[in-house]
Amino acid sequence: MFRHFLTLQQVSRRQISSTVRRQLVNKVPDKQKLFQESNGMPVHLKGGVGDAVLYRATMGLTVLGTAYVIYELVKAALPQKKD
Amino acid sequence: MAHQAHAYHMVDPSPWPLTGAIAALLMTSGLAIWFHFHSTTLMTLGLILLLLTMYQWWRDIIREGTFQGHHTPPVQKGLRYGMILFITSEVFFFLGFFWAFYHSSLAPTPELGGCWPPTGITPLDPFEVPLLNTAVLLASGVTVTWAHHSIMEGERKQAIQSLALTILLGLYFTALQAMEYYEAPFTIADGVYGSTFFVATGFHGLHVIIGSTFLAVCLLRQIQYHFTSEHHFGFEAAAWYWHFVDVVWLFLYVSIYWWGS
Repeated sequence: MFRHFLTLQQVSRRQISSTVRRQLVNKVPDKQKLFQESNGMPVHLKGGVGDAVLYRATMGLTVLGTAYVIYELVKAALPQKKD
Repeated sequence: MAHQAHAYHMVDPSPWPLTGAIAALLMTSGLAIWFHFHSTTLMTLGLILLLLTMYQWWRDIIREGTFQGHHTPPVQKGLRYGMILFITSEVFFFLGFFWAFYHSSLAPTPELGGCWPPTGITPLDPFEVPLLNTAVLLASGVTVTWAHHSIMEGERKQAIQSLALTILLGLYFTALQAMEYYEAPFTIADGVYGSTFFVATGFHGLHVIIGSTFLAVCLLRQIQYHFTSEHHFGFEAAAWYWHFVDVVWLFLYVSIYWWGS
């Protein structure tokens, strides 16, 4: 959310006060432009690099988790007796 | 998106139903593994996956609605039906626990001493913290309605204040209930009284936390200008859920805390 604070050319009306909370500028039009761009990206990746990183992390955990649960369930179903 | 000849929403392919299903598998299997083999790794992994799925799925819905304009009137109607049906299913969920409570309390067995509350149980005084909790939730119902009217009238600052107050009241309820749980003279293991009390009020408390979280997301969205005076269904859904949580508490208070003492 705070990445866009660097685009100073768009914030001519915004006042930054050191004593008062910063006035939030309406970024919805910018978001609308970003997510309506005709680039063929699906909505879950359309936000940028951060989306792809989060997606890969989630899918990685999904695949690892699936393997782990099969391993644990097989281990639970076929106990190895210790002598 | 400008090329469709209808007002409905054909969603992009999404990985979140799969990750959500795997999360459910990991949480349930993880629960069994925890019970039998004392390891919480699988269950924790499932929980993390569930949180990631919920965050990204709902983030995408906000993108589709607020940023891409897919939530046309017919689509919004479907979302309304969906939320109503979900809340109805939750009503039935709680109905089961109320059934269990009334089954045990209307005809107390000899093992309990033939009375309700059972012999040996000192119930909480319904006119102390539970009454305060009732006032807190009723007040939060007023503040959430104030927030709705503020949004509809374009009063940005009032909407933010009343929504924040609603959330604070929800957190106050949760804190009070946590303290009550800690100080209670009986536990969940104290027969059917303890079971019905803590399972019913416990699930209710979980729903208060879920509802407070939903409202907090709405607060963030209101601050970021997502809601317009005509279109703010996310907030309405959160408000409906909050009223449902309030009504469940009223039934809990009258049945378990008051009549049940």
